[in-house]
Amino acid sequence: MIRVTELTKGFDDLRRGWVAALDHVSFEVHPGEIYGLLGPNGAGKTTCLRILSTVLRPTGGSATIAGYDVTTHPTEVRQRIGFMSNNTGIYDRMTAWEMVEYYGRLYGLSEEVLNRRLDSIFTTLQMHDFRDTLGAKMSTGMKQKVSIARAIVHDPPVLIFDEPTSGLDVLVARKVLSTVQSLKDQGKCIIFSTHIMREVEKLCDRIAIIHKGSILASGTLPELQDKYEQPDTEELFFDLIEQHDKQAVATAD
Amino acid sequence: MNWQNIRLIFLREVRDQLRDRRTLFMVAVLPLLLYPALGIGMLQMTLLFTEQPRTVVILGEKHLPQPQLLDGNHFVSNWFINPDDASKLRVITDAEADPSASASTPDERQVTLINQAQKLRTRVEEHAAQKAELEKAEAEFRKLLKANVSSAGSNNTGEAKPTSAESTSVSELTKKIGELKTKLVTIDHELSDLFAASQIQVLIVVPDGLKENIERVNQLIAEREMQSEDLMSYPRPTIVKNRADDKSVVAYSRVREVLDAWEQEILRQRLSSANLPQELPNPVGSSQLDLAAEEQLSANVWSKMFPALLVIMAVTGAFYPAVDVAAGEKERGTMETLLICPATRTEIVLGKFLTVMCFSVSTALLNLLSIGTTGHYMLSARGPSSGAGSMAKMAEVSLPSLPALAWLLALLIPLSALFSALCLALATFARSSKEGQYYLTPLLMVSIGLTVFCLSPAVEIYPVHQASWFYSVMPVVGIALLLKALLLNPGNTEALIFAGPVLVTSIGYSLLALWWAIEQFSSEGVLFREGERFEPALWFKHLLRDKEPTPSFTEAGFCFVLIMLAQFVSMRAFGQSIAAVAPEQMGAAMMRLLVIQQMAIVACPALFMGLILTTSVRRTFRLRWPGTKFLAVAALLPLTLHPLSLELVASLSWFFPQLPEGAARLMKTMSDHEQPVWLILLSFAAAPAICEELAFRGFVLTGFSRNGRTGLAIGLSAVTFGVMHMIPQQVFNATLLGLVLGLIAARSGSLFPGVVFHFFFNSLAVVRERVGTAIADGHTEELQQSVWRWFITVETSGLRYNWPTLLICGISSTLMLLWIARHGQARTLPATDHQLIGSEFAAVSTIAKPQV
Repeated sequence: MIRVTELTKGFDDLRRGWVAALDHVSFEVHPGEIYGLLGPNGAGKTTCLRILSTVLRPTGGSATIAGYDVTTHPTEVRQRIGFMSNNTGIYDRMTAWEMVEYYGRLYGLSEEVLNRRLDSIFTTLQMHDFRDTLGAKMSTGMKQKVSIARAIVHDPPVLIFDEPTSGLDVLVARKVLSTVQSLKDQGKCIIFSTHIMREVEKLCDRIAIIHKGSILASGTLPELQDKYEQPDTEELFFDLIEQHDKQAVATAD
Repeated sequence: MNWQNIRLIFLREVRDQLRDRRTLFMVAVLPLLLYPALGIGMLQMTLLFTEQPRTVVILGEKHLPQPQLLDGNHFVSNWFINPDDASKLRVITDAEADPSASASTPDERQVTLINQAQKLRTRVEEHAAQKAELEKAEAEFRKLLKANVSSAGSNNTGEAKPTSAESTSVSELTKKIGELKTKLVTIDHELSDLFAASQIQVLIVVPDGLKENIERVNQLIAEREMQSEDLMSYPRPTIVKNRADDKSVVAYSRVREVLDAWEQEILRQRLSSANLPQELPNPVGSSQLDLAAEEQLSANVWSKMFPALLVIMAVTGAFYPAVDVAAGEKERGTMETLLICPATRTEIVLGKFLTVMCFSVSTALLNLLSIGTTGHYMLSARGPSSGAGSMAKMAEVSLPSLPALAWLLALLIPLSALFSALCLALATFARSSKEGQYYLTPLLMVSIGLTVFCLSPAVEIYPVHQASWFYSVMPVVGIALLLKALLLNPGNTEALIFAGPVLVTSIGYSLLALWWAIEQFSSEGVLFREGERFEPALWFKHLLRDKEPTPSFTEAGFCFVLIMLAQFVSMRAFGQSIAAVAPEQMGAAMMRLLVIQQMAIVACPALFMGLILTTSVRRTFRLRWPGTKFLAVAALLPLTLHPLSLELVASLSWFFPQLPEGAARLMKTMSDHEQPVWLILLSFAAAPAICEELAFRGFVLTGFSRNGRTGLAIGLSAVTFGVMHMIPQQVFNATLLGLVLGLIAARSGSLFPGVVFHFFFNSLAVVRERVGTAIADGHTEELQQSVWRWFITVETSGLRYNWPTLLICGISSTLMLLWIARHGQARTLPATDHQLIGSEFAAVSTIAKPQV
């Protein structure tokens, strides 16, 4: 469903000059699978997912979603993805219902389908209590639910979650994770970025550890633990990053 | 494009704005409440603060002749046009202050005022005495000089020098005049200080015996005994005022009105006592016929007020919603959400644009409606009794007629569209709403500047007006002027012929601005601008450290701004040095300056920036061998393009305003036969060819084409090249040439064909004039008989080309341009080439230097 090959993205930075935010990254994600992008802040996770959601254009390499290239067929790609991140806000002066309905209409759902879809989403996410609350008056948990509802209103085959739990309290985070899990059970193709090990262990089928724009290692968690002979995920993560930084220093010299 | 999406976005944004208290306040509540509130406030103020009476002091009241001028503390009211005005001037005379003459005891204030007035009087008299002395001395001086000149002229052979006695008297006189002048200045200063410190707004000093003198002269006239000038002259009153003080100005204008009417009466008495006709002082005595009807007067008020208001309201009405829908959306984090929905960027921008425009139109209309009704109500509430003259007429101001209002609406739409698109682009560029607000001021200043220009009565849209066609295609100005003309007279068919160009170009500008907004919205750099702290030092270091082979888009833009600034700054200096040159050397001096200007202002900024900011001077300035074919075509193309461009500009001469005097003079030097040809070619052809090409096809074009869009880069570099030429005709011509030059540079990947083309093109202009005048000098007959008459005509200004020439030129130019467009490759440079080529840099700087 998602195929990323040699994806590269660079930009000009005032302090560091030309920076490669993504450096020849390749991976694939299949339906019914959660692919975890694990990396520290600034590793390039958000850049990668923004390219997948067609908001940014890559400077090299390619990415296809459901067979459509993100640079040449952005509209088709956008029809088939649901994107949610801690950055995707909701409108202050719209109610929960209006917000989700608006996006449903933008995705071109017919009124009949849209109403059915809205009803079922509002029921499964338990959003009926605040369907007429304005965005400005919602709690963080409510907002997050609206964001998820917005991302899945058109029932996309591919879902992209960019650190969906960052800044949330434990209860809300748990709700979000369980929703992601249930979406996977519906056979969606999901890519999920985070810097929290526990979420990866709990949720992801396969992971990629990404640092400074490159993928250091990828595979299922047991595969990685075997390969690097490190049973603890957290240790594994730190070891890989340390090793990479050392190498970088060595090559620079 | 999916209209459904645009509609959805539009409806959502409008609903969103309507739920926003701030927007509602700005758009609806403010105009509906503010103007009536202001109106009520102003009415209150005018009721509470009626005009304060101003103080007029008259010294020597007892010397005033009949008829009676004063009535107690005021002027007699029938000397005023509006008798009520009498109460606005309080008159204090020295007669009152004199306790023996007056029954009432004067109060303290009067006494101080009179004292101040007395002091002033002594100074005034001193001033008059000094001035008289000065005039006398100056007259003497002139007489002496004249005598000297005539004596020098009469004995040429003898000594021409004045005698020593004469020369001493001259130097003495000069000294005396100087002294008198400085004395006069000190007296003036003292006088003005004293006057400012006093409470007096106008002081009238009546000289002793004025009454008797007037009676005496009346007598003389009646007896026809007017032989002697001296008998008729007598000391006249002096009126002291201060033109820089508003109170004094108001009081003086009233005093003037009274004195004029009073003097007329004295004159009347004099004439009747002398048995002379009353018309004696008015041999011409023209009468006035004012055709302005009431509704025309009000139309005049509206035509001045509405265009300006409309522009300002359209800007402010567009601005706040634009900031909210673009920068606000970024700030609240909903921008990314919107970008990943299936609507394309164009659809999103259009939806937002329509929202902004909707609010811009409604703000403008509501404001005008509110101002119109409040103003109308207020003026009629004041009533005609409260004011004289223009105020009474304005009281009957009626609202504009229906056709005028229809025009208002029709012209408001393109105006709002332009501002909405501009505001949206600016607001998209802003990181936050706060940053967005900062962009309002410059936008508002520019629009106010343009409207103030339109308010000037000399600026009109009218067929007889030379610049009308040009005005009509200017953004904002065209609309404002057309509206001004149509509000004055909605059926104005002469102004209506401009409606077409005004509307078409306005819509064109709106589309251009909209395109810019869409560009902004599609730019990653703009949408995901990080809230990074801006440090000038860091930025500068970045600029110098991370140099790239070719300039960036921004650097190219900055180079253009630098050239324009340098041009602006140097204009004065060049003007002065031209003015200092003797007329016969003007031509040569102008050409020298032209060369210096080209090198200092055009080439230097570009070369300087190229050397400092890029690593590859060779690629920045396209210094590579283009191949002989390109050079040959570049040399041939001017031959066919020059006639076309000349005739095009000539056929469009009705469109442009007249050439400014300086430019016309400069053009004349081109055909000046006294100048050597090499100098003319150097200044008009060689210098521009090298300098302008280095700047515009070198640095600017290379920078603009960095993002890979060669077409856009050529267009932009052509427009900047045009704008640099300042004068409308040349801007037009240079922009077209810029397109051709840009195409040549982009296709050949080299600067040299452009230089060759530019040189030949400009040389042809010189040659045309020379050849034209040469043929006109005696070869006209030969031309009439030869086949050449089909192709060229001779005019005083030089050769003119006939249509067969133009046809041939058109075809061959098209063929050559096609060849250029096909051949060579578009040498767009890769955006991310970070390999520094040190050797290339060193090698190329040596090539570049000889051309500096």
